[in-house]
Amino acid sequence: MKPILLKIVTPERILFEDKVNQVSVSTALGQITILPNHIPLVSALKPGEIIVRQEGKDEDLMSVSGGFIEVLADQVVILADTAERAQEIDEQRAEEAIKRAQELMVSRVVDAEQFAYFSAQLEKELARLHVVRKYKKSHRHVPEDFGK
Amino acid sequence: MPATRDIKRRIRSVRSTKKITRAMELVAAAKMRKAVTKVLATRTYSDLAWGTVLHLAKKLNAEHHLFFQEPKKVKKVGIILVSTNRGLCGSFNTQLVNKVVQSINIHHPEKVETEIITMGLKGRLESRRRKLNIVADFPKDDITTSSEKISSSAHLVVQNFLAKKYDKVFIAYTDFVSSLRQAPHVMQLLPIVPTIDERLAHTVHEKKEDINDINVDSFSDFIFEPDMKQILDAFLPRLVEIQIYQAVLESEASEHSARMFAMRNASDAASDMIESLTLAYNQARQASITAEIAEIAAGSAALN
Repeated sequence: MKPILLKIVTPERILFEDKVNQVSVSTALGQITILPNHIPLVSALKPGEIIVRQEGKDEDLMSVSGGFIEVLADQVVILADTAERAQEIDEQRAEEAIKRAQELMVSRVVDAEQFAYFSAQLEKELARLHVVRKYKKSHRHVPEDFGK
Repeated sequence: MPATRDIKRRIRSVRSTKKITRAMELVAAAKMRKAVTKVLATRTYSDLAWGTVLHLAKKLNAEHHLFFQEPKKVKKVGIILVSTNRGLCGSFNTQLVNKVVQSINIHHPEKVETEIITMGLKGRLESRRRKLNIVADFPKDDITTSSEKISSSAHLVVQNFLAKKYDKVFIAYTDFVSSLRQAPHVMQLLPIVPTIDERLAHTVHEKKEDINDINVDSFSDFIFEPDMKQILDAFLPRLVEIQIYQAVLESEASEHSARMFAMRNASDAASDMIESLTLAYNQARQASITAEIAEIAAGSAALN
């Protein structure tokens, strides 16, 4: 089958640009997987994971904090607000960020807008933590300091 | 010798000025490099976002969303003016404000009210000097780090547009073509006109990109999840934000290149000046020595 051209971009950088066999993202209505020849679709992304499968390679895991996805027949564009590869996420710092966000939500909530901001922050960090844990689980055999 | 001493003092002062301009040139060069990498990184995102809008616009009718609707009569226009906080960058801000005044004259010659929203100190001062109607001013960082920094200004124009306070919104900024060339430019933000603006540097560079060439007409209609209204309501304001962010980054890259060249010109001018002053100094010195020798010779001749 003809592969999909997938582009994942954030305002800061191009995170991913390659031909892939399938990609899974979590949209506002739940997780969807896109295979080649999908009908045109535009959807909003929720904080969560992006799973990319390529021929002859391990699946790629990324976290995303929200954004949009546009699907055309053989091209998928993900416009992410922020996105990171699982390899880049620091588990400990994600945990600390979650703790911080939770504390702020309890102690400093003044209005609805701020609450929304903090809970978005929290959701984003939870997604990151989820992705990095999942990544570590599937790469148990790799030593901690691998690649450093 | 009074003449030579004066010239010497001039040379010293020009030389220290040159040191300063030289240092500023180097600082601007370093900032420019940073700003240019940022602007290039963001161009992909904004081009892709723009591509998505082009695809959507081809498939949807204008009445689907307020952002696509061309107003029947333009009564009031908002212009965001992205300028710099600091001067010493040549005619950068003057040119930009000139362009704004020009576009006010071209776009709406009949008395249409124009409100200016400024970002950056120098543009504000220049607009005030030209007696333009400034309604809001947003502080601008020297290096804008994230799109959140400009979300308040994006929010303001989107709200005003939706409330029908503005019939059209433009953004005036300096487009970064290359480090040698920056072009002041006024672009329409709202309503969204789904055409490619050929004058912009990045769309010209990347026109070969496949993104705009995809023929959407052959496809079936888009599916929207959860539904079209929600997606457009979320996506289009985000697009406006991205476009403003992109404009700010373009403007920053342009600012630092403009400043670098202004400072390089100043350093070169200082070098020329030092050269001609040194020549004048040497001539004066030579003249005074000659005069002295003549005096001594005359003195000894008188003794004999």
